[in-house]
This record gives sequence, structure tokens and C-alpha cells, in this order.
Amino acid sequence: MHIEFYKNPTWLHYVNPTLKFILFVFLFIFFLFIHHLHFLIYFTVLLTLIYYIQLGYPIKLLFLLSLPMVIIFFTSFVSMALFGKGETTLFQFAFVHITEEGLYRGIHLGFRSVIFGLLGMIFALTTKPVYFFYSLMQQLSLPPKIAYSFMAAIRLLPNIIQEFLSLRKALKVRGVIFKRSIPGFYQQIKHYAIPILALSIRRAYHISVAMEAKHFTNNRNRTYYYILKYSKRDVYFVFLTIVLLFAAYTLQRFYPFLPIDRIVA
Amino acid sequence: MHSIAIQIENLRVKFPDKQSFLFKDLSLTIQKGEKVLIVGPSGSGKSTLLKILAKIIPKIVEVPCKYDNAILPVQPGYVFQNPDHQFCMPYVDEEMAFVLENQLIHRDKMKLLIREYLDLVGLTLPSNHTLIDHLSGGMKQRLAIASVLALQPDVLFLDEPTAMLDQEGTNQVWDTVWNISQNKTLIVVEHKIDRVIDYVDRMIMIDDCGNIIADGNPHTLLRHKKSLFQQYGIWYPNIWNDHPIRIDTQPMKSVMEINHASGYYQKTKAIRIEHAQVNEGDFITISGHNGAGKSTLLQMLAKLIKYEGRLHLPFLKDKRDFYKYVGYVFQNPELQFVANNVYEELEFSISHINNHKERMNRIEEHLAIYELGNWKEAHPYQLSIGQMKRLSVATATIRKPKILLLDEPTFGQDAYYTFTMLDYLKQLQNEATTIIMVTHDYHITTHYANKIWYVQNGVLTDIVENGIEDANWRTIKNAHRIL
Repeated sequence: MHIEFYKNPTWLHYVNPTLKFILFVFLFIFFLFIHHLHFLIYFTVLLTLIYYIQLGYPIKLLFLLSLPMVIIFFTSFVSMALFGKGETTLFQFAFVHITEEGLYRGIHLGFRSVIFGLLGMIFALTTKPVYFFYSLMQQLSLPPKIAYSFMAAIRLLPNIIQEFLSLRKALKVRGVIFKRSIPGFYQQIKHYAIPILALSIRRAYHISVAMEAKHFTNNRNRTYYYILKYSKRDVYFVFLTIVLLFAAYTLQRFYPFLPIDRIVA
Repeated sequence: MHSIAIQIENLRVKFPDKQSFLFKDLSLTIQKGEKVLIVGPSGSGKSTLLKILAKIIPKIVEVPCKYDNAILPVQPGYVFQNPDHQFCMPYVDEEMAFVLENQLIHRDKMKLLIREYLDLVGLTLPSNHTLIDHLSGGMKQRLAIASVLALQPDVLFLDEPTAMLDQEGTNQVWDTVWNISQNKTLIVVEHKIDRVIDYVDRMIMIDDCGNIIADGNPHTLLRHKKSLFQQYGIWYPNIWNDHPIRIDTQPMKSVMEINHASGYYQKTKAIRIEHAQVNEGDFITISGHNGAGKSTLLQMLAKLIKYEGRLHLPFLKDKRDFYKYVGYVFQNPELQFVANNVYEELEFSISHINNHKERMNRIEEHLAIYELGNWKEAHPYQLSIGQMKRLSVATATIRKPKILLLDEPTFGQDAYYTFTMLDYLKQLQNEATTIIMVTHDYHITTHYANKIWYVQNGVLTDIVENGIEDANWRTIKNAHRIL
């Protein structure tokens, strides 16, 4: 079992992973300080377009993967909208106190979460972990020890799913029946988590011994099977980011549609 | 003119939590170009010795050890037992490249070298950029050998490289090993020596106290010191000839009836049984090629996968009691444990028995049968693979189930424990337990089974009575033998 849905790589897949990473971290931080509703909304729309058009995945899959973001949007929106402080009351019933300010703060938070989600998705779907860590070693001279630990760990992830399925059968055979109660739930977690953790630790240990037996050292002067350099695409990518930001800025300037724009935190 | 590849004198090893030394004053010299096989009973420290000679201990794994006048290989190459525990990259070419990178080989040469080494071990893939997870066990071990060859080792160490493999994979691996090891120093630890013995020039036998008790030409040893093999329960060729055939046919009382049943694996039909009946006290082995669906069949009988059709147990009054009467032992023992130590593990299986005294007696009895008495307090994961396997079988047999389903229970066991386990299963059979076992070992079939189920391409095609030598039986026997 291995997770790989890569079919048609687009130019985004060939952007240098380190550059992509740094740029996305910058965007993350940047959007923490943005309190202009229209800017957030327009940027989300533009990012969604990129997400659906430029990633080279089947639309169906992209849609499925975007469902969690919708949930995130509503949870962050609802928590702010229903219980947020504010002066202009729209609706009040028992604990629920919806105010105009709360409502807008909810929208603000919701869109910010979605932007974070979309950026994360775009990164994850266009970057192979192996390339990412090779690039970090080459561009940011990340110690090979750390890079290879991560690569080995990512390789182990699908095994955990397999182990979970086998464990479920084994527990059935051993006659383990979990009660439908809180202690029963605790039991269940214990019976699954401990073997899976113990097995993972053992496997990680074995692999680390095998890696060293293959003469792996933390020597930074390694040769590399994959060379990751900067290319024209990186320039396009930086350019795209600037264009998106500028477009969102222009749109919010000329086409505002909500009565409030700036959210005071 | 020989020169020395490995020399070690007065080796002493002691694990911190153990009373006695694992090795005390062991000395050993191996010449360049020698092919050496190390054998010994389970737990005699063969693997530890191999790791010391390969410098894995104490350089990578810290174990207190001391020795004098050592000449150890400059560039040891080590192939591990478990094919799933030795790769760190997802793709074949990336894993090979990992080794080449470690040696600072220039990138331009990598592609060519990767192809060269893969060719050497006979691993031809449509593309070298293939997921390692998609390879079979035998292919994975050959990849492990290829990646070790890329180290250009002066001595090659193989630590039971085929212990986790089926017969087909085992053959592939050994063929590869003999192909590549001409003019190389080779040190092998292995349980099943049939495939090895004709190729090595020297065999070293270690006893359970870590002393070398025999050393010399393998064929001479077999001829003159066969009693040592028997005493320490070590496999030797034709061991089965010295073992009595014990087939019993039981009275016809049906315990399981299967009609038009299909088992599903992830929504695709994986196994089909038209008609089959299992009688009380049957000893059935299921055989067939790799991937024919043997394990799937067993899982269907245990109702562990989705199935449709009739799977009827006449004696079962209440369907909820199914697992009270049907025991199952998985191929991977690690996944069968639910308790914190060996004793509790066994106690868990019989928690339905209210009488404390009877429970204790049964546990003590089983600890003795499977020789786990000294490990009562140990956590199941602290056991060796062989011990884990025994414990996993014990957790099923202690319940005295009516039907016992076992998936390769004797895998990776030495001769002594294999026979102990089989004889105990035989005893259970005589007490009217029905045993259904998936096994690759042709001899278990011929020595113990009264019926053979033969699976081909996901269909149970033949049910043969053992001992009746008709044409049908001969075909299956031959098919079985090559497996």
C-alpha cells in the first residue's frame, strides 16, 4: 500500500521545493496580519482557482480533499459567529448571542483557515517528500541525518495502516470485546496504540541499524542522486504569487461588497 | 596462498541484564575467500556473533564486548533477516542511490551502477523507479543484496536472509548468493541448511552456551557428527527420514461444512470453495503456489474476511461463541498479543475458566510445552521471533479449541521446536481437535496430514486423502515439492 495519486505533473511540481516552502511560510505569516475581509475573500477565490486548475489532479479527488477545509471553515466561523462579542445584536437566545461584529470576525477567521488549508494542500500535492528533503539538504544544507530520518519515517506510514487492519483481526480472534463505554474506549485505544507504537519503534530501530550498516554518516559532503536547482519556473512561481496578491488587492479596492472591511482584532 | 579475512580471539560478550556470558573466550579465524556457515540452536547467539564480526556490534549497536588481536573486515556488507526492516527510501533506484551517495560516488555514474548491481542479482524490473513495497519478499532480499554489493564489501554477511521468505523467494535468494559470491568471503547464519550446505566449505556449530562444538567441512560433519545435530535440534538434510510418519484418520463426524462459498479481499473475489467438509480430528494442510490464496482461504474459514455462501459448524449452538471454538494463529506473531507479559497473555486466552487452580495448571503446562517458563515475566515483544511464534501458537492451543487454524506456524523455527510443536499439535488432534494449517513445508504434509487441500488461482481445486497413491495425489505431490 502506498499513497501516490500523481498522474499529470504540472509546472508547479517542478518548482524548487525549498523556494516553495519558504514562500508559503512567508504567506502564512503574512496572512496572520491581514485583517481586511475583502482581501482575504478574493485571495481565497484566486487560490481555489489555482488549486483546481493548476495541480494536474482529477477534479473529483481535489474536491474530496477540499472537504475538510469546508468543515474547518464552518467550525471556525460558527465558534466566532455564535459566541463572539459585539455591540450590534442580530439575534439572541440563551447562550447564543449573534452580533454583527462576531459574524464578520467569524468570516474573517474562516477564510484565513481556508487559505492556510489551501496553501498546505497545494504544497503537499505538488511536492514529493523525497525531493523536498533532497532540496532542503542542497539549498539549506539540512543535516542528512535529519533529512533521511524524515524520508524513512514517511516510508513507514502506509505500514501503520496495514498493521492496524491486521491488529483488528487479531483482537477479534483473541476474543477481545470492547465495551461501549468510556473505560471500554480507553481499553480499545490501549490495545491498538501500544502494539502499533511498539512495532513502529522496533522497525525504526532496525532501519536505523540497516542504514548505518550501509555506511550512512552525517557527512554533509554527500553526492546526490537527485540534484535540485533553481530554474525559470521558480521565477514564474514568485511572479505568480505577486500577481495573486496584487490581483486580490486590486479586486478588494474596486469591488467591495460587504459593509465592513477591516476587522479589529 | 591464503590470507586472513577475519580473526578474533578471546571474545567475551555479556548482555547487561543477563547472568551468564553469551560468549566466553571464543576464538575464530576465517581465511579470505572462505564460505562459512554458522549453525546452532535458537538463542545461541549466532546473530550476535555475526554482528560482532561485521562490526555492527559495538559500533552501531552497543553491547558490552571485549576481544583481542582482532582483524575485522574494512568494508563489511550485511544483509538482514527481515526484508521490510532494511530500506529507508520508497523506490528501488533511490535505495540503491542511497548506498552510492554514502560512498560519495558521482551522480553521473549512479544510473549505470544501479543497473549493473540489479542485473547482478537478477532483479529485472520494468523500471528501476519501482516502489519497494510492490516487490515480493524474495525480490526485496535480492535488492538488499544488490545494495550491499554496491558497498563493494570485502566480506559478505547474511543473517538468515530467507527466514521470512517462502520457498520460491528462498530459492531466488540462494541462487543469487551463489552467483555473486565467487571469490568472496561469505559468512552465513541459517536455520534451514539444505539450500546452503553444498556451497559452503566450512561449517561452524555453536552450542547454547556459545562454545564452538564443531568446525569443519559440512559433509564430513554431517557424516560423523550427526548426533550433534540431533542433540541440539538443528536442521540437517533428510532430517525427515529420521522422523516417523504419523497419519491418523479420524471417525467421520462433521465439524465444518462449506458450500458455494466465496471470500472477498477488498471487494474482489479472492477465494472460492464449492464443497468441502472437515471432520473432527482432521489434520489438513493447505498448499498451493505463492499468492494462490491459501492465507485468504484460512481467513475465510475464521470469518475474518467478508464471504458469502454457506460456512456451517454443526456443533455451534450460538453464533457468538464462534471464536470460543475456533482458534487462529497469524503468520506474523507480533500482532497477536494483547497482554503485558507472557503469563498474562496465556491467562487471557482462558479467562473464561473460573477455577483459578485449573487456570494455573494449564498455563504452567503450556509454558512447559513451548519452553517459555523462563520468560513468564517478559513482555511478548521482548521475545525472539521464534519464541513469539511459539507464544502465539500457545495462546490458541491453550483454549483447546475444536478447530485450530494456523498460518505457517513453523516458519523460522529450528528443528527442535518445529518437531515439539508438531508433536503437540498431533496430540491435540488425537484429542479430537481439528487442525487446518497453511504450510510450505512439503514434509509436514507427508508426515502429519491426513488430507491436503490444494489451492490454485483462488480456487480450492483438489482435496486429496494422504497415503492413497493415485495419479491425482502424485500430481499434487510434485507440485508441492517444487514449491
